[in-house]
Amino acid sequence: MNSGESRRPGWKSLLLRYETLLFVVLVAEWLLFYHFGTTTNRRGIVVGFGTMDRQFDILRHSCEIGLLALALTPVIITAGIDLSVASLLGLCAILFGKFHFDAGMPIPIAIALTLACGCTGGALNAALITTLRLPPLIVTLGTYSLFRGLAEAITHGAVTYTGFPSSFLALGQGRLLGLPVQAWVFLGIAAGVWLLVHRTVHGRSYRAIGFSPEGARFAGIPVGRRLATAYVLAGLIVAAAAIIYTARLGQAKADAGMGYELFAITAVVLGGTSIFGGTGSIAGTLLGVAAIAVLKNGLATLPVVIRMNAAEEMSGLMTGALLLVALTGSIVPGLLSKLRARRQPASPTPVQDPA
Amino acid sequence: MKLYFREVSVAVALVVLLGALAIFAPAFYQPQPLLSLLTREMPTLVVACGAALVIITRQIDISVGSMFSVCSVCAGLLAASGWPLVAVLPASVAIGAVMGVFNGALVAGLGLPSIVVTLATMVTLRQSLNLMRQGEFVNLPDGVQWFGLGQFAGQWTIVGAALLVLAALGLGMRHLAVGRFVYAVGSNAEAARLAGVRPRLVTFLVFVLMGALTGLAAMMNIVQSPQVQPLSGAGLELKVIAAVVVGGVAISGGRGNLWGAFAGLLLLACVSPALTHLRIEAYWEKAIQGAIILLAVVADGVRMRKEKS
Amino acid sequence: MKSKFSRILFLACVLPGLAATLLAADAKLMIAMMPKAKGNAYFLSCKAGADKAARELGVELLFDGPTDTNAAKQNEIVENWITLGVDVIAVAAENKEGISTALRKAQKQGVAVITYDADSLPDARSFFVNQATPEGIGFALMDEAARLCGEEGEFAIITATLTAANQREWQRHIEARLAEKYPRMKLVAVRPCDDLKDRAQSEATALMSANPNLKLLMAICSPGVPGAAEAVKQAGKTGKVKVIGLGLPNENKRYVHEGVTDAVILWNTEDLGYLTVYAGVALANGELKPGATRIEAGSLGSFEIQGDNILLGKPFLFTKENIDRFDF
Repeated sequence: MNSGESRRPGWKSLLLRYETLLFVVLVAEWLLFYHFGTTTNRRGIVVGFGTMDRQFDILRHSCEIGLLALALTPVIITAGIDLSVASLLGLCAILFGKFHFDAGMPIPIAIALTLACGCTGGALNAALITTLRLPPLIVTLGTYSLFRGLAEAITHGAVTYTGFPSSFLALGQGRLLGLPVQAWVFLGIAAGVWLLVHRTVHGRSYRAIGFSPEGARFAGIPVGRRLATAYVLAGLIVAAAAIIYTARLGQAKADAGMGYELFAITAVVLGGTSIFGGTGSIAGTLLGVAAIAVLKNGLATLPVVIRMNAAEEMSGLMTGALLLVALTGSIVPGLLSKLRARRQPASPTPVQDPA
Repeated sequence: MKLYFREVSVAVALVVLLGALAIFAPAFYQPQPLLSLLTREMPTLVVACGAALVIITRQIDISVGSMFSVCSVCAGLLAASGWPLVAVLPASVAIGAVMGVFNGALVAGLGLPSIVVTLATMVTLRQSLNLMRQGEFVNLPDGVQWFGLGQFAGQWTIVGAALLVLAALGLGMRHLAVGRFVYAVGSNAEAARLAGVRPRLVTFLVFVLMGALTGLAAMMNIVQSPQVQPLSGAGLELKVIAAVVVGGVAISGGRGNLWGAFAGLLLLACVSPALTHLRIEAYWEKAIQGAIILLAVVADGVRMRKEKS
Repeated sequence: MKSKFSRILFLACVLPGLAATLLAADAKLMIAMMPKAKGNAYFLSCKAGADKAARELGVELLFDGPTDTNAAKQNEIVENWITLGVDVIAVAAENKEGISTALRKAQKQGVAVITYDADSLPDARSFFVNQATPEGIGFALMDEAARLCGEEGEFAIITATLTAANQREWQRHIEARLAEKYPRMKLVAVRPCDDLKDRAQSEATALMSANPNLKLLMAICSPGVPGAAEAVKQAGKTGKVKVIGLGLPNENKRYVHEGVTDAVILWNTEDLGYLTVYAGVALANGELKPGATRIEAGSLGSFEIQGDNILLGKPFLFTKENIDRFDF
């Protein structure tokens, strides 16, 4: 699963890489839904999965989850986790509405300020995790509550910001050069994060930190600073997602993005990033996001699911089950190698901490 | 004293809050509403005991809310279809235990991270319940409320039973060997293994116990009113983890006790009625609770740094 | 290339056949109805009425929605229905603006669109089946509360969540009516219960304890009414603290008969669902046109239309006398 190393260049290693497998699964999944989910409906129009309209909708809906997954990938690579991403999305959405409507700022300034707020949220996580050496799990569990609570308190639980100018709404609902606008933003951010994680010294250190923080420290890597940037960057990307979410729905409400963290984490894990840290790839995350988006939307286009009135439950169930399968699958290679090691005179394998 | 500094400080915070209420809102201290408040929190206490054990072993279980809902609905349906209460209670516990077995098998058996496993089971259970029940209430037959004992006796029974569970587990953690094992696994699983403890078995059992306690708590909850709402466990996981963490159980495992969890639970549970009595607007509640949690966590972190240096 | 072409040919032959088989069974009209939240008993009772109407009219009814109120998911489901090619879409909108984009798309494809219970933007739908105006609901609640309290005293409101749009509107009208007509009454607190019956019970207990002179609890979300009633009962204050609210008869029958809850206000949600289906079908058939002033709805008779609002009528008061007649 190590995508950063190039041990044996050549066709075989390319084929056997996890991402390639995932890509194949993705294509198969897409074809499956294309076949079963595209029909001529009762009104004589070709509808369903295969229409461009539908594909664009899939793209739009998955940009926000995709951004959350992009934000999470570097964090998870460092063997951390950030449960507060969806709550921070809600808080940033509210703040954006507040900046524009209550403080009267023009949209570009409101956007800039919101991005700054996202960084601040990430910085809070970063400070607690790096300075006080607190476990990321509990810190982000706390900020998960805190951010959502702040969003509710700021809006007095009630205010919804709507009525954004249509030039802004185009960001979430319009098209540019044939693709939804937010898809371009998403691709831009994805490219940036990919560059960071795979091509910069800074980003490569994430893997070292995830594999062994102590070892990384001895190797001279400023662990605290690197971790901090990972969380602050996550906050920044989440803020961007919040703005796109608001543009797509045309409203900013305190409960924005509720429940998205499950899909984001599933996408990252599905994409091959190890939940234990130390390895991961942005390409894998993108494929994971695509796989989940296709699954979710594809299921919903199957006539039988629509008739069962179970689109909502099915997508939740499938994602939960998928996460379990992905997790179990991710440790199978480890288990297999442990079994193999048992048959040979053992070189001690480190016991993995259940946490 | 130093050993229990954390727990004592939570107790002090609780006393301060209660004191503030005594001064600014003495109406808080009427016996009947207080008893009602206490009884309502008892099921959460039972679940918090289980959660404390899970967290001490360095795991986490965020599926307790969904497990609670499932057990409540199942127990309600069994009672409504005529099962006597003496049979419904063990059935509820058993159902919870089975869900705990599933979590435990994945975490202890396969070594998967508990946060992600329980995140997945939480969503899967909740959606399955929605699929089946569609949110409809379960109406309980007449003899079920308060175990048929009437309100006063029923309330004290529930409070007594919960405190008994707390005491039994608390003392067991301290004095029984298996209680010591839980701390050992949480502090350093490898060292525990070398010392002869079986960390995977201990972890597994802790998850099973968590499930069983959730089933018991669900039972304690449904006898408090004549209907069961399937959503009833919503938000329970956060409530319980917050209580446990505020009460001094370190999320990094190996330290903490149930008395602290009790104090933490009471502290957080009093925030809502305190806001009502002090006439503060309701929308501050979540933010205040989040702040208390972060404060507790930061205090833990500061103390850990001091210990290390 | 050749295999690709033959594959496409194959698909082109098979798919319409598949579609035809799947859908041939129904040359029936298909009407798709969406609640705000699928699990909510209120909407389930709408569904009961809708099912009845669908049977009478011989149409197929699809009923689906998010499990918790979620504007984004409502959009997704509308998209699915457009895909499926339903003839009518009836939505209870969680967010006015958000849902309107999807609804306009449906209208462009020739789908008949109406809203019920909670409206979208007016240009995105042809008609809105209005159970009662928020003003009518708020006034009915406040008036009944005042009547029970002798027009003086303290009362408190238990609401669903602080962000729920419907509840916010009703609260606004309650407070307006309070200020206008009942100067000797005072609203002491508004507490959320997150749509949880147990939480409503705790909140009610705390409210009664903090406000010893409290005369009435008004629960404006349906799980809140039995929760508040149970709290009053357990506090031994039956009769001293009155309970009214917006709720469903079945959940409250026991408390109404025991005298804990004085009145449950609602409209007949079954009738709402029933009327919605009739209106939707009439719209799709061309029988209901813009500018109409009345509409016939099967066994319920005829209803007034004001502009583009189809009015169900005044809120209905369920009391000890009549509550047993209803089963939802």
